Amino acid sequence: MKTPKPNLLIACCVLGALLSVILLTQDAGFSQSGTQPPAVTREGNPNYLPRNPFYFEGKVDYELLGIDQPADAWEFMQRGIHKQDDLEDYEGAKQDYRAALELNSLQNGTCQIVDSAENLADLDPAPCIFTLRLRLGYLVIHDDPHESVRLFKEVLEIDPMRLEVNFLIAEAYEIAAEEAETEAEKEELYDKAIEAAHAELALTPPVNDPSLSPDEANNAHAHWLLAELYEKQESYDEAIAAFQSYLKATRWHSDVLPWRIPLAEKKIEELAEAKAAQSPARRMVHRGRVR
Amino acid sequence: MRFGALAHALLVLLSVCSAPLFSQTPVGNSRRFSIREQPYQPAERCLPCHRRQYDELNSSVKSGYRNVSPLFNALELAGNFLNGGLLRPVYGDSISRTTTTGEPLTSNIVSTPVFTDVTQVAAGFCIGCHNPHMVLLGEDPEKREVPQLDGVGPDFRPDLIRPLRDYHLVDAGGRQILAIEIGGPPPPGAKPSLGASGITCDVCHNVIAPDLDRSPARDGLANGSLELMPSLSKVGSFRFAAPVKDTFHVSSQDPERIAYLRSSTFCGGCHDVRVPGGGSLTHKEVSRNPPSEGVNLYRLENLSTEWLTGAYNSTNNPFGRVVRCQDCHMSQFPYGGDSTYKVGGIDITSPTPGVFATNFTAVPGISTDLNFPLQKRPVSNHYFTGVDVPILSTEELRARSRPDYPDVHEPGADEHGFPKSLASRREDLLKASVRLSLDTTDDNAKVGDSFMVRLTAVALTGHRFPAGFSQERTAYVELTVKDNRGFLLYQSGYLVDKPHPETGEMEPDGNLSDEDLEHLQVIVDPGRPAPPGEPPQAYQPGHTNQVFALGPDNGPEARIFAGEPNGVVLWRNELTRVFLPGQALGRADDNGEPITVRRPHFEEIFSAGFANSVDNYRTLPPLRPTIYRYAIKLPKKKELEMLGVELEGPLHVRAQVNFLHFPPLFLRFLTRTTSADGPAGHDFHLVDEKLMDDFLVNVKDIANAETIVNLVN
Repeated sequence: MKTPKPNLLIACCVLGALLSVILLTQDAGFSQSGTQPPAVTREGNPNYLPRNPFYFEGKVDYELLGIDQPADAWEFMQRGIHKQDDLEDYEGAKQDYRAALELNSLQNGTCQIVDSAENLADLDPAPCIFTLRLRLGYLVIHDDPHESVRLFKEVLEIDPMRLEVNFLIAEAYEIAAEEAETEAEKEELYDKAIEAAHAELALTPPVNDPSLSPDEANNAHAHWLLAELYEKQESYDEAIAAFQSYLKATRWHSDVLPWRIPLAEKKIEELAEAKAAQSPARRMVHRGRVR
Repeated sequence: MRFGALAHALLVLLSVCSAPLFSQTPVGNSRRFSIREQPYQPAERCLPCHRRQYDELNSSVKSGYRNVSPLFNALELAGNFLNGGLLRPVYGDSISRTTTTGEPLTSNIVSTPVFTDVTQVAAGFCIGCHNPHMVLLGEDPEKREVPQLDGVGPDFRPDLIRPLRDYHLVDAGGRQILAIEIGGPPPPGAKPSLGASGITCDVCHNVIAPDLDRSPARDGLANGSLELMPSLSKVGSFRFAAPVKDTFHVSSQDPERIAYLRSSTFCGGCHDVRVPGGGSLTHKEVSRNPPSEGVNLYRLENLSTEWLTGAYNSTNNPFGRVVRCQDCHMSQFPYGGDSTYKVGGIDITSPTPGVFATNFTAVPGISTDLNFPLQKRPVSNHYFTGVDVPILSTEELRARSRPDYPDVHEPGADEHGFPKSLASRREDLLKASVRLSLDTTDDNAKVGDSFMVRLTAVALTGHRFPAGFSQERTAYVELTVKDNRGFLLYQSGYLVDKPHPETGEMEPDGNLSDEDLEHLQVIVDPGRPAPPGEPPQAYQPGHTNQVFALGPDNGPEARIFAGEPNGVVLWRNELTRVFLPGQALGRADDNGEPITVRRPHFEEIFSAGFANSVDNYRTLPPLRPTIYRYAIKLPKKKELEMLGVELEGPLHVRAQVNFLHFPPLFLRFLTRTTSADGPAGHDFHLVDEKLMDDFLVNVKDIANAETIVNLVN
């Protein structure tokens, strides 16, 4: 074996050093759009997990699923979520959610409401997907609050204990009320909104056990919504009570909109004054409303 | 030009040739070899020749802290309360039977050659990864530290079970001694046992190969699917090591064994955790080993799979090469220099992985036969820095783990420039893990209207962030919007100091690190002892949600299921329980009646044992810019007038990432379930409010971003 010439060794060292520099500096030029190694097939893809019997999953990072063309309701929903959350393509998301609904519909019999713990391994048709309905309902809440209400009510059919759904129904009714053409219709929609907000609160009553929790009220946002709805109806006693409950609910939890806490206190004062100024006849009108 | 072409060609060649070195293809079950066995050695035996590695390992959490951790011990106890002691190991001399088929149960998660029953996976489930060699040694009753329980299932006695760490104490003669009181302090003269040290030198360096027969997907990942063989032959990261003095050990020359130790698959043997669950309703996985087809599992720790399916397991990442676990957790990272690159539209400067210090791998002059000269070479550090620091006093760590356990806040730096303080290393690692941008936030906002804050977050990790026990590890975004005068218009990811009467904190204590985020109000049922007059086995295990309500910062549920752009951005995976029609939620309605569901219902729970479902997509994916929106509603003009506030523009938006070990509500559950009010009826002295106040620290501002928004009329 020949001994390498010294200058060849030096050249190799220089080349090695240059390669190292190239290897290190190439990092600086890297740019990517967040791509991952493609998940080529669904089978064996650890991100494409076996579907649970009730479609209770949330969203999965879409690019990890390896879906080229959605093949079923769940896949259309996941693509819709991708469009809604990652791309801000709300129209595209709505289209995908509607396509998913066609494949998972109570109306055309492609999904069912599960009300038994029997035979869960072989549910045919598949259970109705609640995430899909919640997502589409939220996206159309301003354009078509009545469709939102219909979708959200289907969610309650799927799972009556699901939190937030009644709250969304209340919001949808409130939006519908703002657009109502007659006072009577408006009042009726406000009443429905109030009823839905109360239904939300009923799902998570405070535990009323000071040895366990200091909370005297839960769900600040539902109380705030109720207070505003009552205020619009000029039901001052109920509005004051709802703002007070809001203050109790925020006492140990504050609010994402913290200015609403001092505002609630001001509103209580203002409503008390308004109530004092309200005629007895007007007060009687509100007695028959939803509480 | 010609040189550039040549360099490029060589670069390509180098990339191609280097690929097999980092190949992650498991090589299969090993060839057992014939060499003299050597009992597992305490790390102190390795110290004289490997001082640096010993010191590094000594201040990691993997070795020493983990097995005496009050959280680990309390969690293991809570799991046993739930399933009747099935998490304790059984051995070959056991007379136990499986709770599924009634067949003899004589092997555990480490010793079972091929799983045929979920109870084999459950037996020793926690200690099997945290102390696998001790479980194997336990086959010899003389060397057994953790005994099998006398009664399991319906015969389980919660009042008699000891925390695992009770068994890791010996007297001066090396004989096991137990605290007089269950869970009590170490008795006088007690010293830590071999098992107290947990994962030490001899566990990793005795590894032979992935044990595919015990790996659910036959990929070498999960549940301790490593083949360990305690022998003189120790595997290191390179071949042709110098002859060891007095042949204390020999260095393996097996290239496959060395490549395995250097691979991410080796780490993945333990850093995927799949929980045995015959009743799993979602994300149920069936083992691909044919004899194990009846063994159902769900993915708890999913770290290694995340790496396997992520950008670091490819050349399609900022560094153009595979970045292994060792490249961040055993290298100079994050102290080895920075790289600059783009992910999506975000300019990023972050520490470079895969930079290794040059040093001796053993102490020159004393470690080789005939004083064989050592050469300096790239060396791995053994800090294994992750997201954990001990939640335990240094004094107790020294009493229970190692007398020389360093203070986690020890000042100074080591010879490679690493802080000696584990807490500092952890914080620096966290600061390298994520970047934020607010650049695509709306430019303008108007009083009474909403505007959109768009937060782009990128994890720079090889796995999702956070990872590991990611259903409890918590990273979140604290975001504020203020006007130019500092008036707070919006807050998310905030904490509120409050009482916690369930664990005796009757008034706010001025500490925010022991507070949960405000998206959810949860108190977990700790269970309770058997009623007076009933046998101890008639206890209630708890684990359901005693209190469960959405809070004002409700981001996770709204974002994921309804797509609403609001509330806290919480990077924490979620354990959930699917309740079937007719099952009780474990709490009462407005009338005090137990709530029973009519339709399938699921909700977040905080017990891996009670979960039958898991959502592992809530953490931040690696190297994928993810946008989170906040629809910020500004007060109306009239509301501002009522408040006596006049907004002044511009608005200032600030986002920062904070990290918290565990949700305090989870620690409060462990506090209560291991207290005298829990199933055992006596206190295990593991977790309490003081421990949380002393050691649970919210690491704030590991990354941040700011922007301004014009306030227009």
